[in-house]
Amino acid sequence: MDANPKYLDPQTLAKLQGLELRARSIVEGYVSGVHRSPYHGFSIEFAEHREYSPGDDLRYVDWKVFGKSDKFYLKQYEEETNLVVYLVLDTSESMRYKSDDAALSKLEYAQCIAASLAYLVLQQQDSVGLVTFDSEVRSLVRPSSNPSHLKQLLHVMETSEPHRKTRTGPIFHDLAERLKRRGLVVILSDLFDDVGTMLAGLKHFRHRRHDIVMFHVLDPAELDFPFKQTTLFKGLEQLPDVLTDPRSLRQAYLEEFGKFLNSVRKGCRDQRADYLQLRTDQSLDVALSSYVAARMARMA
Amino acid sequence: MFTAAPLLAFGFANLLMLGWLAAAAAPILIHLWNKRRYREVSWAAIEYLLAAMRKNSRRMRIEQLLLLIVRTAIIVLLVLAVSQPYLEKLGLPFTPGQRTLKLLVIDGSYSMGYKPTDKSRFDRAKELAEQIVDDSAEGDAFALVLMDSPPEVIVGQPAVEPAGFIEEIDNLRLPHGGADLSATLAQVERIAQAAESEGLTQVEAYFLTDLGRNTWGADTSGTAAVRQRLERLAQRASLVVVDLGQPSAENLAITGLATGEPFVTTTRDVALSAQVRNFGSQPQTHKLVELLVDGRRIKESYVDVAPGQQAQVTFNHRFDSPGDHVVELKLDSDLLVVDNHRWLSVPVKEHLRVLCVNGKPGTTPMTGAADYLALALNPTSGDAQATGAIAPEVISESALVERDLSQYDCVFFCNVAQFTASEARLLEGLLARGGGLVFFLGDQVLADRYNRELTGEQQLRILPAKLGPIIREAQYQYRFDPLNYRHPLVNVFQGREQSGLLTTPVYTYFKLELPPEGKARVALAFEGGDPAIVEEQIGRGRSILVATECSLSSIDPATKNPWTTMPAWPSFVPLVQELVSLAVRGQLAERNVEVGQPLGESLSAMSSRPTIAITTPGGNREEVRMTLAPTSSRWTFADTRESGVYGVELGTPVDRKQAFAVNVNTAESDLAKIAPEELPREFTTHQKSDLDDADSPAIVKRSGLHKTLLYGVLGLLLTETFLAWWFGNARR
Repeated sequence: MDANPKYLDPQTLAKLQGLELRARSIVEGYVSGVHRSPYHGFSIEFAEHREYSPGDDLRYVDWKVFGKSDKFYLKQYEEETNLVVYLVLDTSESMRYKSDDAALSKLEYAQCIAASLAYLVLQQQDSVGLVTFDSEVRSLVRPSSNPSHLKQLLHVMETSEPHRKTRTGPIFHDLAERLKRRGLVVILSDLFDDVGTMLAGLKHFRHRRHDIVMFHVLDPAELDFPFKQTTLFKGLEQLPDVLTDPRSLRQAYLEEFGKFLNSVRKGCRDQRADYLQLRTDQSLDVALSSYVAARMARMA
Repeated sequence: MFTAAPLLAFGFANLLMLGWLAAAAAPILIHLWNKRRYREVSWAAIEYLLAAMRKNSRRMRIEQLLLLIVRTAIIVLLVLAVSQPYLEKLGLPFTPGQRTLKLLVIDGSYSMGYKPTDKSRFDRAKELAEQIVDDSAEGDAFALVLMDSPPEVIVGQPAVEPAGFIEEIDNLRLPHGGADLSATLAQVERIAQAAESEGLTQVEAYFLTDLGRNTWGADTSGTAAVRQRLERLAQRASLVVVDLGQPSAENLAITGLATGEPFVTTTRDVALSAQVRNFGSQPQTHKLVELLVDGRRIKESYVDVAPGQQAQVTFNHRFDSPGDHVVELKLDSDLLVVDNHRWLSVPVKEHLRVLCVNGKPGTTPMTGAADYLALALNPTSGDAQATGAIAPEVISESALVERDLSQYDCVFFCNVAQFTASEARLLEGLLARGGGLVFFLGDQVLADRYNRELTGEQQLRILPAKLGPIIREAQYQYRFDPLNYRHPLVNVFQGREQSGLLTTPVYTYFKLELPPEGKARVALAFEGGDPAIVEEQIGRGRSILVATECSLSSIDPATKNPWTTMPAWPSFVPLVQELVSLAVRGQLAERNVEVGQPLGESLSAMSSRPTIAITTPGGNREEVRMTLAPTSSRWTFADTRESGVYGVELGTPVDRKQAFAVNVNTAESDLAKIAPEELPREFTTHQKSDLDDADSPAIVKRSGLHKTLLYGVLGLLLTETFLAWWFGNARR
């Protein structure tokens, strides 16, 4: 799992140009240790054989071919999977924030995660789609399992510019209606919005029997509030500016922020959504693998 | 209409420093500047920051205000503290703006000459005195007293012109004496009283002193008279002591210098012995002691003195010429210089001239009343080679009035029958000049005439005791009782029984009657308790009365026994030599006095008045006048505040030069001081022991305000640190 850990550090990733390269680095950095795909499905129509590679499910080994050729081949099907992954990426202005200590902005970090997941899902022959949003849905890429689909996803991600305010509640309601096919909804956002309406949106997803994974992407400065000298905090998303002595306000801010995090965490738990808080200074493979391992354990 | 007098008068000793109060604006300015000087950050989670602001803005404003108040208060208190605020007086009707008499008392004891830095305590006292004058308000008046012994009022009439007054302070020279606290307080009280009548109702008396235990100890400052005076004074004036003393001061001093003999001649060596005392707490080793005679360095020696101990240094020296010689002993220099020198004026004679008045001349050798005495005075008279220290001259009773007694150091009377009034006057003159008289009695003596002319009945007092009845018992032999050899006259006989003093046979003597409250001392007694030898210092000289006779010329008609066979006894020669020594002791004492004691000399009566010029150790030349009297003339010079050699030139007709040595009383060499807490409670004190502290703030009455303010500053600094930490970090 730690075969190539240095490429999974956000500082290193930041130097890599292009999401594809970043995603590949992340996934290949950790996937060599994973023996079993977390996503698996079935189909009726056989398409072709594929040589076995470590990590593949033994259930799909064609034992007849093994009997003839002494080699392991998997059976490939036309409609390979029933898993559809919807990557819902927040591209609001607040996602643009990057503190001095972080190598990547929240959006860049979320893009890396989304790209990695897309890469991973496509590797598993599953379908993946993408939604970017702020106050409205900016782009929607239908799910597909075609490996070439990745390029389109990455292109959409790379060209998404952060602006406007987040409006998660209406967006989630809208998406719940629009994403007809039941699947796994992976939300990547800082969730700086009204928590109540956001949770109502999640509830709508659940109602549509979607599985929800919430990647709560936060900058370390937002969690630690390390400022010392008098600072003018310029509000993003059309919020007012605040001039204050941060030392005297730190405790109160952390309390407020803690309340927000707790309400998000609790709301996700109530909606049986997987919640994962990600710090943008955190190693991406740790972030991904911890989640994937947890989910695999639950599904097993 | 009743107007209440203010109980407190508040002021600042250093008003200029108050200008720094403007600095109190600094924290506010820094706060405002910080508000203008900030960094900008784009912030996504602004919603939560705004929520925190909404809930905490009031608390934050209070915290900032509190910090600002504390920081401003630190600066304000610090500035106030260095401005030396003072409360004028509590409980007394002191009104600011009223004229104040500032009475400066500077300690003039020579311990103030102690110089631990480039400034002595006295220099520092003068500086501080000038500073008090400089810091005074317009219209204040000043007086100046030098706490000497006796105290010297330099400016008694309140002076209103600071420049002239400071000049008086500048001109002060440290005398070499002690300090009389009681007399000084009397002067201070007198000046304070006089000031009241001039409308100066507020009096501040500053005592600038080293708080020497000799001056301020409980035995002087705790006496009833001083206590009462202080209580009275405290009602009139505020008393401030400025402590210039250092707690541990080392000092080595020459405490004594004397010749081994009471008279010095060119015929024999004289032992010059000195005592060197260590008044400090550290041992003093290998200290050089130099002997100078008439300014020339003669000998040197080294001494080691343990702390609190005394070492003896003795030099033997023979003076080669008669006349006045000045011996000076010099010690290695230390921080108190004045007691490192000691002088001795030694009148050196070729011989000691002794006149023996023979009251009963003999027909054959050794039968006269003075014959044995003359032999005992100069035992080597038969030896042509030998040179005796004493040159006795025997004259008859009738020749006495024709003699000029000023030529003699000592006169012996041997069995002289009686004295006339004119002879008594001559003898009085001799005593006044420091000469010695020794009376041996005998069968010729008329006791009532002696008593009338010589024991004060006719005004003149020559004899130390009256003559009573003749005591004799048939064949009874009286013996001497040395009275434990306490008297210096017989001290030499102690442990020398073979000298025969105790076995000296006496058959007849006059019973001597001492006046009840006189200063006469019995040097030797008879076994029955009657005095045998009585002596007393009269004038500068000494009169000695021996109850019996000094020859074998007086014979008891009944028993045919002589009055005594003492002249033939081995004890006679040493006894006579000791009598001479004791009798002339006054001559040396006259030339060597302590600081503050007057110089003076009695001369034979003279018709014209010689001019007398005194040269002080500082080189000043002063003239004194002689007082003429029928029997003797006398001059005195009282201004001996400086130690050293005083040269005296007597003009015609005397035409003589003399040297007088004035030495310090080494009580002041002990630099031990009292703690300010030991002072009577009427005084407040200021510590100024650091003599280097040139910029020390003005002395004002101790109100402790600046100290309180400084403690306040310290407290606020700690509070500020704690609050800043508490607001900034502790609760985060």
